Amino acid sequence: MNISKKLATNPLAVVFILVSVVVIYAASQFPDSGEVGPGFFPIVTAVGIILFAATDLFIADNSEFEISDPDLKAAGLVFVFVVAYVGLMPITGFLVGTMLFLPLTLYYSGVRSTPTIVAVSIVFPIILFYVFSQLFLINLPEGIIPFSRLLPRLPLVMMP
Amino acid sequence: MIGNIAAGLANVLTPFTLVLMVFGVLLGILMGSIPGMTATMTVAILLSFTFTLDPANGMMLLLGIYGGAVYAGSIPAILIRTPGTPSAAATIFDGYPLSQAGEAGRAIKTSTVASFVGGVLSVIGLLFFSPIISDIALRFQSPEFFALALFGLTIIASVSGESLPKGMVSGLLGMLIATVGIDPLTGFQRFTFGVPELFTGVEFIAVMIGLFGIAEGLQAYADGLDDGEEMNQEIKGVLPSLSDLKSIGPVSFASGVVGTCIGSIPGAGGDIAAFITYNEATRWIQNATPDFGDGNVRGIAAAESGNNASTGGALIPTLTLGIPGDSVSAILIGALMVQNVQPGPSLYQDEPVLLYTIIMGFLVIYVFILLFGLLGAQYWARLINIKKSLLWPVIFVLCVIGVIALRSNLFDAWVMLGAGVLGYALRLRSYPLAPMVLGLILAPIAEENLRRSLSLSGGSLDIFYTSPIALAFIVLSVAVIALPVIRNVYPTLTD
Repeated sequence: MNISKKLATNPLAVVFILVSVVVIYAASQFPDSGEVGPGFFPIVTAVGIILFAATDLFIADNSEFEISDPDLKAAGLVFVFVVAYVGLMPITGFLVGTMLFLPLTLYYSGVRSTPTIVAVSIVFPIILFYVFSQLFLINLPEGIIPFSRLLPRLPLVMMP
Repeated sequence: MIGNIAAGLANVLTPFTLVLMVFGVLLGILMGSIPGMTATMTVAILLSFTFTLDPANGMMLLLGIYGGAVYAGSIPAILIRTPGTPSAAATIFDGYPLSQAGEAGRAIKTSTVASFVGGVLSVIGLLFFSPIISDIALRFQSPEFFALALFGLTIIASVSGESLPKGMVSGLLGMLIATVGIDPLTGFQRFTFGVPELFTGVEFIAVMIGLFGIAEGLQAYADGLDDGEEMNQEIKGVLPSLSDLKSIGPVSFASGVVGTCIGSIPGAGGDIAAFITYNEATRWIQNATPDFGDGNVRGIAAAESGNNASTGGALIPTLTLGIPGDSVSAILIGALMVQNVQPGPSLYQDEPVLLYTIIMGFLVIYVFILLFGLLGAQYWARLINIKKSLLWPVIFVLCVIGVIALRSNLFDAWVMLGAGVLGYALRLRSYPLAPMVLGLILAPIAEENLRRSLSLSGGSLDIFYTSPIALAFIVLSVAVIALPVIRNVYPTLTD
């Protein structure tokens, strides 16, 4: 197989080679404490990546052609939902953020039953909130308006 | 050893631990029964539920999920020709034809018993071989540990994908990611870009959840959320027939032994074990009636005993050397590290009771799998009908809360999302993810011991070939890399 075809089917190999070159440059600027300084291992690893990624570009390998035609738009959009969910969490808090994220994503995923969407979007975040916040004593983001404090506290003791 | 086994068993047989194991097994069966929900993903997204438990109880929950999911992967494989987990792929060959012949119950019961036999044999292997390997590993110095890490990386790269260069790139990328943070030997900040959260390095668990939770989710959406076939076949009875038990006994035993050995090779998980044991069964058993591939229960038994045996096998290098046998055991290492327990040879000296609790607990978990598998076969079969469109949004929430629970920091959620995108891109281009996970775990071991060795030898590489063990590992690593190249260049030679 010629290289240009390989480049088209496996552009990641080129990306990895470029990243490795940057890593080698950056690591070579680390303070020198002999041949086993802090830059030594990243350089060795990056050189390894360059060698194997280049080999991958040169050898005949059909593994990339077994890929089916994925719907990148569907994956991209759901990823945007998750990014917005995480990005807005400092404002919305975990509880409200999850209650907003779930109905949107459930609907996008194809769930059309309103009772199901409402039930999952309200009950599941509340259960998770109680388990993590009150049972496991983990600080979950509360957001700018801490609605979660309106929920009654459970009379629980710490787990053994 | 007997004292530690008794202490371990006593720890396991407490009500709270038993409840955790049952909960784990049921969760594992639930997720494993749904096509596309792998054992690795299930363990990764539910890891956060163990952070507040003590190490032994946390491991019981995770091992319950692990064993349950690997077992239950066979249920959709048998009923709808879609493996619940990759390790159940070989079960389709005989499981689906048997189910098509109206004998789905017989196929599931066979799978349950064989999974139990394979699982128990693998735990027995873990019980007896681990101390021996651990004893040998205790004599390792820096050069041996570096060589072992190198061998671990090359072997996993070679067995976990179709292309060795892609496997190596994936593993080395994992190693590179692991170099982020303060250098443990000099205190210098590497690739932290002044971000305080990166001073202690990239959070391993966040990367794991990204690679196996978010990336799998993205793939599910990209492939189309197929809610699959409806399963309405009725499963009657609880116990398999005596004639079936007699028929599958020897093949389950032999496959369990082989599966344990294969599982103990880093990177060779249940899928590889099941294909090999199935293939071996077709060679061992001549003139099978019905033929293999036409619904022979011994085919199901070989595949299922093999893949479940790989679970205990995978724990052998995980617990004795700190080198994960598969992706799930890599997460288990991460779970133990969160609890400040470092798997490896010293674990047998420092935490023998914890270790034997894990081993005895895994044994009891397989008893629960047998029990629930047989009693609930008719109900597990219905789990296939759970809609993925309902499940994936919930899984995304579990991923996010899982990383927040790590250290109550949203930064880890961004790391998880980054790892998710990277993982998805790698999957899209057929790069295996298991080597990356191993790279993340092995990098600190490899780096520390490489630098220490070179410091001791004044920069000379002699130190690696004056030690017979280090030399043997290095020669094996070179052989693992060179063999496919030789096969490529001289196909007739290897034929």
